[in-house]
Amino acid sequence: MRSVTGFTAMAAIALLGHGAQAQDIRFFTNFDANAVSNWEPVLEAYQEQNPDSNVELETVAGSGAAIYPDVLRTSMAAGDPPDVFFMWGGEIAGPFIDAGQVMDLAPYYEQYGWEETLTPWTVEAITRNGKVYGVPFNARGMGFFYRTDIFEEHGIEVPTTYEEVENVCRTLKEAGVHCATFGGKFGWHPMRLLDYFLETRCGPELHDELNRLEASWDQPCVVESYTMLKTWVDEDWLMPDFLNISPVDARMPLYLGEAAMIIEGDWFESVARGDGMTTENLDFFVPPTGHEPVRYSAFPQQWMIPAGAENPDASAEFIDFIISPEVQNEFPEPFVASATVGVTPDCEEWPLTCKWREVITSQRAIYPPTDQAFTKELMDSFFEVQAGVISGQTPPKDAAVLMQERAEEWKASKT
Amino acid sequence: MATQTESRPISTRSRATSEFVAASPRNLTPYYFLAPALIWYLLFLVYPMLSSLYISFFKWDGLSPSKTFVGLANYYRIFFEDDVARLALVNNIIWTVASLVIPTAFGLALALALNRQLRGITIFRTIFYMPGVLPLVAVGLIWSWMYNPHFGAINTVLDAVGLDFLSRGWLSDYQTAFGATFLTNVWAHVGFPMILYLAGLQGIPSDYYEAAALDGANAWQRFWYVTLPGLAETHVIVLSLAVINAFKVFDIIYTMTYGGPGRATQVLGTWMYFQSFQYYNAGYGSAIAWVMAIIVLVMAVPYIRRMSRD
Repeated sequence: MRSVTGFTAMAAIALLGHGAQAQDIRFFTNFDANAVSNWEPVLEAYQEQNPDSNVELETVAGSGAAIYPDVLRTSMAAGDPPDVFFMWGGEIAGPFIDAGQVMDLAPYYEQYGWEETLTPWTVEAITRNGKVYGVPFNARGMGFFYRTDIFEEHGIEVPTTYEEVENVCRTLKEAGVHCATFGGKFGWHPMRLLDYFLETRCGPELHDELNRLEASWDQPCVVESYTMLKTWVDEDWLMPDFLNISPVDARMPLYLGEAAMIIEGDWFESVARGDGMTTENLDFFVPPTGHEPVRYSAFPQQWMIPAGAENPDASAEFIDFIISPEVQNEFPEPFVASATVGVTPDCEEWPLTCKWREVITSQRAIYPPTDQAFTKELMDSFFEVQAGVISGQTPPKDAAVLMQERAEEWKASKT
Repeated sequence: MATQTESRPISTRSRATSEFVAASPRNLTPYYFLAPALIWYLLFLVYPMLSSLYISFFKWDGLSPSKTFVGLANYYRIFFEDDVARLALVNNIIWTVASLVIPTAFGLALALALNRQLRGITIFRTIFYMPGVLPLVAVGLIWSWMYNPHFGAINTVLDAVGLDFLSRGWLSDYQTAFGATFLTNVWAHVGFPMILYLAGLQGIPSDYYEAAALDGANAWQRFWYVTLPGLAETHVIVLSLAVINAFKVFDIIYTMTYGGPGRATQVLGTWMYFQSFQYYNAGYGSAIAWVMAIIVLVMAVPYIRRMSRD
C-alpha cells in the first residue's frame, strides 16, 4: 500500500499547531503510481478548502478485481473500513451490498443533487434493488480498436454490420494478418468477443434476460454465439493459442501489426501510449450488432461509503468535491473517463478518449460485460465453458447445455 | 553410534519429568520464558486454525454478520458434489507423487555430481540452488513468458532447431498445461533436495567407501549399498518435505495458469482460495483448507517422528 503522506503530515502539523481536531478521511483505491500522482493536486485542493480534514490515500496498486475486493473485505471484516472506497459496478460490488457493508446514499443524492451531476445511465447501472449504494465517477465503454494503417493498406472500411466484420476478417486473413488478438488467461478478455456475439445473435432483450438468468442458456442463439466464437478460432482470425496469454501480452500482436483489432475500452489510448506506442494509427468503432439502437458494452466505476464509516457526512462531502465538474475541469488528468456531465478531456491531447466521451455521454443503450452481470463464482463457470469452446473440448451445442447446468447449480447453491 | 544418540534424549526426558514433579514456584522460571512464545503461538496459529474449523461448519460469505450452520455439508460437498474439488484433489495427488520422485531424484543426482572437491564447484552448487531462492510468483511469471506461444523462448528454440512441430500453446493446451506447470515446479524445487543430499553425503564416512572398494564393489554397488543406506535419514526429511510442500502447491498454479485452461490445473490450494476469497464461500473454503491440512498432517507424521526423535 502506498500513502500520500506528505501533505497529510503537513496538514496534521498545522492542525496540531492550532489545537484543532483533524477529520481523517481514508480514501481507498486501486490507483497505480501514475494515478496517485494525478490525484495528488486534487487532494491538496480539497485539503486547502477543508483545512480540518486529513485525506489519506491508500491504494492496492494495479491489483484488479481479483485482489482488490479481498483486501477491502479484510479491512471491513477487521472492523477497520476506509471512509471512501473505489469499486466496480454490478456483481463485483454486489457481495458488499448484500452483506450490508455499504451505505444507501439516497439522502446524499438528494442533499447534493448528484442525479443532475452524473451521466444518467451510470446511476442506473449502479442501482441495486432500487437503491443507490455508490456514486459513479468513471463511465467506461468498450469497442473494437483497430490499426488504421492496416485497414488502409488493405482497403478495408469500418464495418457497419456483423457480416461486414466477418468480411474484414476474411480480407485480413488473406493478407496474412490476424483479425483480432485476445488474451484468455483470466477469461474476461475473450469474454468481450463472446458478449458481442450474444448481443448480436440473441438481441438486447434476450441478452439481458440471459445475464439475469431469467432465460435459459440452452437455446439456439447461445449455440450460434458459441459457434461464432469457434468459427473465429478455427478460421485463424484470432491469434492462435491465446487461452493462456495474459490480456497485457495480447496487445503485443496489435502493436507489431500481426493482428489488426482488439476489443478494449476508452482507456486504451492511454494504455497504448504507456506501452510506448504511437496512437496515431489507432481508431475504434462500436461493434455493429444489427439491432437498433446499437448497444455497446459499458460499465461504471464508483465511490462507496462503508456502513461502518465513522463520519459518513465528511465522506459524502469529499465525494461531492471530487465529482464536481468545477474540480474535474480544473484538474482534468484523473478524470478522462469521468461520469460527471460536462467534463471532457483535452481533445487535442487525447482524441480517441475524447471521441469515446462523446459515445459514452450520448449513447444511452449499453449492456454490461458479463463479468459485471454474474458473480465471480458463476463467471468462472462461464469462462470454463468459453475455454472449452475455444479449445475445441466442448462443441457449441454442448457448451450451451453445460452453461445452463452451471447456472442452475449456482442458483441451487444460493438457496 | 545410533544407540548412543538415542539413549541421550531418553535420560534427558526422565530428568525433565522428575524436575517437573518437584517443581517449586522458583523452578517455574523456564515456563515464564516460554510463555511469550506460547501466547504468540496460541493467538496467531491455534486460534485462527480453530476459528477456521468452526467456520467450516457454516455457510458464510465472509462479510455478513450472520452465518448459517450446515454441519458437515461443506465436507460432503467436497467429496460428493463438487466436480472441481475432486479434480483438484486428483491433480494434487498426481502433483505430489510426481514431486516425490522427479525433483528428489534430480536433486540426488545433482548432489552426487557436485559432491566432489573441484575448482569452482561452489559456483555450480549456487547455480543449481538459486531457483529455490526466487519467489515462486516471479518463477511463475518468468516461465509463463518462456511458454508464451507467440514470442516465448521455448517455442522460439524449438522452431530454430527444426522441432517446430512440437511448438504449441503449452499452457493453453488442456493436454500439456499441467505438465508444463509441473516442469517449472521441478526447476524451482530441485535445489533444495540437492542441498540436503549434499549435506547427507558429506556425513557418510569415507572409510565405508574405501572398505567397499577393497571388497571389490563397483560404483553402482557402492551407491546402492553404501550411499543410499547412508542417506536414510536425509531421505525421510527430503521426501517428507517434498510431499508436504507439493500438497500445498498454490503459487505456481495461480501465477501460471490461474487454474485453467477451463479448470484443468485447479488444485486444492487454488480452489480453496477461489472459494474463500473470490466466491465469498468462506465456510466451504475453510472446509477445503481443513481437508488439505488433515492430509498434510498425515503425510507429515514420518517427518515429525523423525525430527522429534532427533
